[in-house]
Formats: sequence, C-alpha cells, structure tokens
Amino acid sequence: MLNKKRFFDLFVLVIIASFVLTACGGGGGATKAPTEAPPTAAPTEAPTDAPTQPAADKIITIAWTQEPDTLNKAYSSMWYMSVLTDIYSCWPWIYDEANTVHPFLLTELPTVSDDGLVVTMKLRNDITWSDGTPITADDFIFTQAMITNAANTVYSVYPYDLFTITAPDPQTVVMTFDEVFVPWMPNLWLGTLMPKHILQPVFDAEGTLDNAEWNRAPTVGCGPFNFTKWESGSYLRFDRNPNFWGPEPKLDAVVFQFVPDDAAQTAACLAGDADICYWPPYEDMPAFKKAGMSIVTEPSGYGEGWFFNIRDMASPGIRDLNVRKAIAMGLDRQSNTALRMSIVKVTETFWDALPQYVDPSIVQYKYDPEAAKTLLESSGYKDTNGDGIREDKDGKPLTITQGNTDKTERQNHQALAQQQMLAIGIDLQTSSYDSAILFADYSNDGPAATGKLDIMEWSDAPYFPDPDISYWLCSEIPSADSPQGSNYFGCDETLDKLFKLQSVTANQTERAHIFWQISKYMHDNVLYLGIWDDPDTWIVNPRITGYKFSGVTPFFNIGDWDVTQ
Amino acid sequence: MARYIIRRLLQAIPLLIIISITIFALLQNSGDPLATMGGKRVTRSEDRVRLARILGLDQPIYIQYVYWLVGNDWVKLDINQDGIFETTGQRKGVLRGDFGNSLVARGQSAMELIKERIPNTLVLMIPAEIIILTFSLLVGIFSALRQYSLTDQVITAGSFIGYSMPIFFVALASMYIFGVNFRKWGLPYLPTVGMFDPKIGKTFSQVAVHMVLPIISMSLVSISGYSRFVRSQMLEVISQDYIRTAYAKGLSERMVLFGHALKNAAIPFVTLVGIDIPFLLGGAVVTETIFGWPGMGRLFIDHLTRFDTPVVMGILMLISLAVVICQLLTDIVYGWLDPRIRYT
Amino acid sequence: METSAPIIEKPVIAEIEKPPLLLSQLVFLRFKRHKMAVAGVIVLILMVLYSIGGTFFKSEAFSLVTDTSIRLNAPSSIHPFGTDAVGRDILARTIYGGQISLMIGMIAMILEVIVGVLIGALAGYYGGILDSLLMRFTEAMLNIPQIPLLLVLGKLLADKIQPIVLLGREFSGSVIVIIAVIGLTSWMGLARIVRANFLSLREQEFVTAARCTGTNNLSIIFDHILPNTMAPIIVSATLSVANAIISEAYVSFLGVGVMPPTATWGNMLNGAYNYIETAPWLWIFPGSLIVLTVLSINFIGDGLRDALDPRALTQAE
Repeated sequence: MLNKKRFFDLFVLVIIASFVLTACGGGGGATKAPTEAPPTAAPTEAPTDAPTQPAADKIITIAWTQEPDTLNKAYSSMWYMSVLTDIYSCWPWIYDEANTVHPFLLTELPTVSDDGLVVTMKLRNDITWSDGTPITADDFIFTQAMITNAANTVYSVYPYDLFTITAPDPQTVVMTFDEVFVPWMPNLWLGTLMPKHILQPVFDAEGTLDNAEWNRAPTVGCGPFNFTKWESGSYLRFDRNPNFWGPEPKLDAVVFQFVPDDAAQTAACLAGDADICYWPPYEDMPAFKKAGMSIVTEPSGYGEGWFFNIRDMASPGIRDLNVRKAIAMGLDRQSNTALRMSIVKVTETFWDALPQYVDPSIVQYKYDPEAAKTLLESSGYKDTNGDGIREDKDGKPLTITQGNTDKTERQNHQALAQQQMLAIGIDLQTSSYDSAILFADYSNDGPAATGKLDIMEWSDAPYFPDPDISYWLCSEIPSADSPQGSNYFGCDETLDKLFKLQSVTANQTERAHIFWQISKYMHDNVLYLGIWDDPDTWIVNPRITGYKFSGVTPFFNIGDWDVTQ
Repeated sequence: MARYIIRRLLQAIPLLIIISITIFALLQNSGDPLATMGGKRVTRSEDRVRLARILGLDQPIYIQYVYWLVGNDWVKLDINQDGIFETTGQRKGVLRGDFGNSLVARGQSAMELIKERIPNTLVLMIPAEIIILTFSLLVGIFSALRQYSLTDQVITAGSFIGYSMPIFFVALASMYIFGVNFRKWGLPYLPTVGMFDPKIGKTFSQVAVHMVLPIISMSLVSISGYSRFVRSQMLEVISQDYIRTAYAKGLSERMVLFGHALKNAAIPFVTLVGIDIPFLLGGAVVTETIFGWPGMGRLFIDHLTRFDTPVVMGILMLISLAVVICQLLTDIVYGWLDPRIRYT
Repeated sequence: METSAPIIEKPVIAEIEKPPLLLSQLVFLRFKRHKMAVAGVIVLILMVLYSIGGTFFKSEAFSLVTDTSIRLNAPSSIHPFGTDAVGRDILARTIYGGQISLMIGMIAMILEVIVGVLIGALAGYYGGILDSLLMRFTEAMLNIPQIPLLLVLGKLLADKIQPIVLLGREFSGSVIVIIAVIGLTSWMGLARIVRANFLSLREQEFVTAARCTGTNNLSIIFDHILPNTMAPIIVSATLSVANAIISEAYVSFLGVGVMPPTATWGNMLNGAYNYIETAPWLWIFPGSLIVLTVLSINFIGDGLRDALDPRALTQAE
C-alpha cells in the first residue's frame, strides 16, 4: 500500500514539474530546461555540426575578440571593425602582403598635380554595388559630404575637411586640397564609401545618418561578400556577393564569431571551432605549432615603445638627457623579448616598420649596465646612503615613474624593467591603468595627459604606411585650455619644426630625409625608445588556402581564399 | 496587505533615485569614454572636442544627470559650437523610458541593446537556477539527515572546495577538458564557445549543447554554497520540538520531512533565492565572458570597460528595479509560508 | 561516653559541588568535537606561519628578482614551486602574496564588522526614523550588485591612493582600495542580523534594569546587549574573511585588483590564466593556498556556528 502511494505521489510530482517547466519555457522559446546536466550525460550529446553539413558549403569561422560597434566605418575607430570593410565594402586602392599599394576601384593609381594640391582618381567603369547600381563619382562626393556634415556624429572628420571634391565626369574624382597634404593615401576612402542611392534618402528624411539602419546592416555593399546577419554578442556573417564586379569569390561565407576572452579564443582555435584567430597571446604559440596551425606575422607599423616625458612637471631626473641615455643602456631589451617567446625583434625608433624613413646611421643602444652606471656616476648621481638608489646633487633620490595599461604582458615587462633599473641604481615606480583611464584627457586627470608619468609605454604606429604622426607637435600639448591634446611628451622646437615641415613636403626623397633627421634627433635625445615590434599575428587552420594578409588591409584577397575539405 | 505593498513601492522610488545618482557619479568620474573609443590609438584632439560636445559629455555632471533622467528635448543645445543654441535635444530621459543612446555602439539605443541580450541571459540563467535550486535542496537535505556521518563529511568537504574555487578556473578548465582535449582524444566532445554554431544557427539543440559547460561551471560553485545553507537550516528545524512531536505521533520520516520540516526550512531559503533572482538578469559576468555567451553580463562588462554610461546605467537600473520588486515578492511569499508573520 | 560519628562520604559532596563550566569553556569543548573545524584551525595557523615565517627564509627583494632565462621553469630544487612568466620564484611570491591576501581578508573583515555592527546596533536599538534611514541605506547597498560595484569603485579609485609603508614593506595604494571596496560592500548581511537581534534583545529585562540604574545608551548597547549577540557576529566575521579572499581573486581576474608587481594569491592566479595547460604550477600553488585557507576558515566558521548555537542537536559522540 505504501509503495503504491509513494508511486502515486511521485507521479503527481512529475506532472506538476513538467507543467512548471513548460510554463517557464514559454517565455524564452528554447528554455525547456534539460533537467539533467551531470557531466556524465554531456559527452553522449555529440554536436550536430560539421559531419552532417553538406560538404559543398565553404564557410570559414574567424574568432574575433572585440565586437564592432557599428558597420559604418565613418562612425568607428575600432581596428576590429575597419578591417572588415575589405570584405563587404570596397577601397579605391588596396595594400598587399608587402604593404605595396595597388589600384582596386581605380583604373590606375591616382595622379597628383605638380604643386601637390590636386589629386585625380579615375574610376573603373565596371564597378557596381551589390544591387547592381554602378559606383560612380557621386558616391565619393556623397561620402565626403556626409562625413563633413555636422549633423553626422562621425568619429573623425580628418582629413575629409582638408579638400574640396568635384567630379568632371561620372568616372573621375578630383580632390583639391587647400594646403599640401602629403599623407592622403593611407588616410582617405578606407572603406568609408557610402552608397548614395541608399543613404541620401535616409539623410533627407531624418536629417542625419546617425540612426540609419544601414550602419548596422549594410545590406548593399561593394565587396566580394555581402553582409547577411549580425547577431549582437554572437556573430557577424557575410555571404558571397553574386553581383560582385570582380572575380567571383571562392568561399561561400565568412563568419566572425565574438570570443572576448583570450584563453577561450585559443581553446576555440585548438578545438577547431574557429579557423582563424587573430593576435593570440604569445604564450600559446607553442600549442598552436603543436596542433599544426600556421602562424603568420605581418608588420602593421605597430611597435611597443617607451615615450619619455620632458614637460615641466616631469621629474628632474627624466629631463636629464644623461639619465635617459642611462636608461636606454640599462634596459635589457633583447632578453626582455623572452616575454614574446623571443619571436619579435627589438625596435629602436618609432618608424622601424618603415625603414626608408629611418636614418641608417642610427646605432641601437646596446644593453650595457656598466656604461649606464658610469654615465650616471659622472653626471652626479651617486648612491650616498647605500640603499641601492642613486641620489642627485640635491640629495633627492632618482625616482622615475612609469605607466602603461593593465595588459598582463606589459605588467610583466614592468617587473623586468624595474629590476633592470634597480641594477643601475634607478628607482622605477611602475603603475598600470585601465586604458580609458590612462588616456583620459587633461580635464579628466588622465595620468598621461597631466604629465604625471615620466615614461609611458604602449604600442603605437604612425599612419602606416605613411610615416606621419602628430604626437610631438607643440600645439598638441594638453593643458587646462586645451585639455584634449595628445602630446603627452613635451614641446621641442626643433622637432616641432621638422614635423610641420614633413607634412607639407610632397617630394618623397626630401620627406624621407626630413624623417631621417627626426629619427636621429629623437634617438640622440632619447625621446622614444623602442621595446619590441608588434606585428599582426594570425593563426590559420591548415584547411584554409590561398590566404595572404596585409598590414593595412588584412583581408585584401578574401576573394581568393579557399578551403580544402 | 495592499497598503503595505503600496508603501513599499513608494519607498522604493527615492531608493532608486539615490542608487542612480551614486552610480552615475561614480561612472562619470571613473574614466573617459572618448580616450580611445575602442580603437588601437588615442583619439585625435579635434575629434575629442567635437564628440564631447555632440554627445553632451562636456556638460557638468549634474546637468548630464538631469538630461539622463528627464531628457533634453525641452532645451536647445549648441551642437556646432557657433554659440547659438538652436538644436533641440532628442532624448526623452529615463522617466519616459529612454535610456539614451550608447556612446560606444552609436546609433543604437541602450534599450535596444539590452533587449537583444536579455533573452540570451534568461535562456542560460533560468535552467541554471532550476538546476542549482533542485540540487542544492537535494544535497542539503540529504546531508542534513545524515549529519556527521562519513557521507556528510565528504559532501561538506566537497562543497567547501567547490565553493572556494574561483569560477573562471572551473570554466576554463572545463572548456579545455571537454572542448579541446576530449576532441583530441576522440571522445564525444562539447563545443568551446558561443551560444550556438553560427554556421548552423540558433536551434534548440545547438543552444542546449552549448549551454552545458557554462551551466556546469556556474552550478558547481553555487550548489556548493547553497547546499551548505540548506543543510544548516534543516538541522536547525529538525531539532525543534514540533518535529519530535510529529515523530512521536507516528508519522513516517518522509511525511515529517516534506510536510513539516521542509516548509519551515524553506523560509530563509526563499529569501536567499528571492535575492538571487533579480541578479539572473545581470547574468554571470565571468562565465559569459569566458564562454562567449551573448548575454547581459557580457554586455555589462564590455560597456563598462569602455565607460558607456547609458548602457551601464540602463543595466544597473533594471537590476535594481528587479531587486526591489523581487524583495517585495519574497516578503509576500514569506508571509504566506509562515503564518506567524504579519505585516502592518 | 563513647559515640561513633557517621562516616560522611566526601567524594559525593565534592562531585555535586564541582563548579559549572564557563560559556567559553563550553563553546571550546563543543568546538573541539567538530573535527574538521579543529583541522581548519591547524591549517590556518600553518598558513599564517607560512606567510610570516617565510620571510626569514626568502627576502622580499628575492621575490622581486626577475630572470627571463629561467622563466616558466617547472618546480625544481632551486625553485621548489617553479618560476613564473618573468622568472620570479613562485615560492617567495606566495609567501609575500600570502601576507597581502591574508591581510586583505583580515582588515576587510574588521571593516565589515565595524560598519555592520554599528549600523545594525544603532538601527536596532534606537528604532524609529534612524532605523528607517539606516535600513533604507542598507537596502540600497544590497540592491547594487556587488561585482559591478567592485569594478566601478576599483576603476575609480585606481590611482588615487598613494603607496604606504608599513612594517618595512611598501604596499601599493591598490591594496587599500581593495580592502575598502570589499569591506564596504559586504557589511549589509551582518547589519541586518545584528539589527534583528537588537530588536529582540532590547525588550529583555536586563536592558530595562540597566536603564533603571541610569546606564547611558551607548553603554547599554556596547556593554550589555552586544555581548549577547556575539555568536552570529563571530560566525559572520569568520566567513567574511574567506569571502574577502575569494573576492580578491575574482576582482583580480576582472582587472581591478592589486596591481603587480605586488603579489597576492589572487593576482598570481590571474597571471596564470594564459598558462593553464602549459605551466600548471603557476596556478596550482597559489590556487591550492587559496582553497586551503578558505576551506579552513569555512570549517572554523561552521564549527563556531555549531558550537555557539544553543539549540544545536548533539548526536551520539
């Protein structure tokens, strides 16, 4: 009797439970809870992907650690967004794996007038958007108008506000600059081309492009692949563009899956859930090699370096050239590359990725702690109280503050640097910050902007492949009146003049020689010290063929990529 | 009872306002969303100035808060800095349901972003919570009935270990074992990241399979904690006189347990669960980040690190609202469960 | 005349008149019965000895010495716990890291207890408007999810505090920030418990008696009522140390913990995150130390709770 009653109770309980569960499940669609999920049950659920897919579908999955904030290049500064424009949008010119430029939408590379003020672009006559509408000069004019229009909160108006644009005929675009602007090629039309026939009506109706649907779903594009779907937080999918004006792409689709965590990204590539991983931690390289994945490094202009602060509020130690020289000789940069498995090389100047702009007579500062100590001794920094730290002539200890973002690799580098500086008698006080705090502007008390840090470390590049950079212009020094400036390092009159000169020198050789002077000056005065080179690193599953990566336009030949099944 | 509910709801309003002011002040003071805007390099100074003006970030904090709360479509702003205040604002403010536009994903409103992610979080957290509750009750009761026996000691030790392990380790370790290594060894394996395989789509089986590892990671830690609590509550209740009387009356162990003990032991448990439920909305930040699950927790941390105030405030206010409502519901259920409790 | 006095049996009287046990002795005896709790005490003492005593064997400067040529070496005789990503000795780092982790746990707990007891006592004793205000404040703090609050506060206070020098060691400002942040976000539960106890205890006769004899309010609170609510406070304090140590690890993972090169067990775990498979000694040692410490503290708390609970049933022992 008891058994029957027990069974009946259990039965009722199960019925009630199933009602409750289905009621809960009604709200979220797929929420019928698997009521048993002990680890032993899991392995029996074999995943339903790959094996059951038709072998014909050629889709590759790329693990992407940052989700783009928008798909309209004008509104974003994210690298993880702008490189996608190779896939669904089109550039007038592209850079190949040697970072050499080739015309893409143009019949030939643009011609520049003798005075350097007029740039003429000749468009091909067979280029079309994915809906068949031809791409004409009107689209270029429209794009420039939209970017410079104050009603659109684009990320940056530079350098579209520096020229006026006209179209003598539908296949020709003429840009007339007010002043000579040398670095126009890598800074213009980088996937920002907007379809006039789609967006003009939107702009007319709403007065702004800020909320256009096209920004998040650019269904009309001009690249080898078309935008298909963007599932927030999960993935972005591009399918083959059947109306592509160029050669038909070999792949059927490219999927970007968002995997924010580094270690999870590595696991995904090792497990084969993703075919390509970008910029994994260097510690995972051996694991990738063992798994048979290809590791591709491509210089992108970026290099990690120490920026020295010589503004008034910097410590007197760092403003002394001898101290800076001693630091350059006291840092064992070669052995510190062990943090990157010694795969990367030590850089010296800010332009090491563009060797034609670096003075060939520059000699790298060798690691020589004895010479550093001698230099400090002879400059008046002696350890008078035996605590291991030198004091200057006034008895103040030689303390240098250094800061960077809180990336683990940088924190490790700080630990190494601190010990190496201690060995020559310098007290290196290190701090690490969240990047939005480190680079906060002057009015937000950003430590870099307010000059609190004597040495700042991060990875940066000039406007690759152009050597232009505005960091050391005197006009860029942040202060209470102009809190937004980006020159955290100090105003040097010589350098300021040289930088201003290079941006208006059209002659390539002359310009290169100006950069030789710049690089030599900065090297001799130790205003920048290269730590190591920071190339793009791609991990590629061997089933993908035909791929090449560029440092500027990584997916430039995405149409040629193929998979072997 | 109705008056009690209304009073509690009214009391909640100043509470929410204070919370919003506190968090808003904290966020605005912490970092500069314009510093890099997610890019690899520092934002150019001209752009910082222009964007600060357009996004309203150059206003003093209290004005920004007012705009956030009640919108700015009743004032005229000076967008192009020509000194003339001619453009009306477009925001309606939180009180009218507009949490503002995301500073990071410009063009999308904070509400849109949040709405897209809530179902994903619920899909993960509700089954997880059900599993956690069920197993906590089972393990806790089982352990209480066999107090100080070997089984109890083992379960206790196991619970404490599970409770003491940081969840990111459990998550990553399980991903490596079941995702990477099982596949290498030819065993049936689980997928590593994501809510579903993008090539296949968001089908039921895909989501279910991808849910296993995150749920296991979360459950291990929570079950360990909750089962301890259930156990101690059960122990307390079992030692009461009325239980002894029930046994003396000849009731079977099962009747005593489920008819009397559990109901009373459940009361503080219900309180705990009630506190936990609103945080289901917040998702599990660490688990979602590691497994790449597109939920609210990840939305929160992604946007917090880029100091996207509208979205972060939106999420936190939603959670706070849910907490207030759930606490009220819990107290009502509490009153129903324990007739000794009376609310004036 | 000869009389024979009856023989009085002394031992009987001696037994009856044995003095009763003090409360503390009773608690101690009950605690001893809880074997796991006793083990917990032993392990905890060992941990503290390890962190403090270890300084005599490995100097702090040694724990900071980097050497990339021996980075990521497995445990060996020179480096019993192996070396980390920049070649530092992990054993030495766990010693100094332990000091900070334990310190964070202890001080955060003290902060929590002070704030929680103060708020709970004042709210429970005075009642009325003060109670309402304090309880609404407590609810507000409870409503804010802890991890986001930790993150926001951590980022906010990141570089605002200067390093301090204590007992010859320099502690970075972020240690103070973590202690403050963890301490100020976990007192709410204790406050509610203390308030509930005060609400019931203040109606007891001994309080009325104290008032009659003219004792002032503060004295009543701290000298009379508070000692009677020590049980939940002690248990809560013990468990909060464990909580603080785990929170520190969690917060380090999210990037707002104590910044390197100052070591804590939590940020050593964070640094080991990318080496889970390739260099397991990076996380096994700090991880085990955290688990052991937290386990032992939890067991102690469990034992205290059982020992201090007047209603706990004692089964056959």
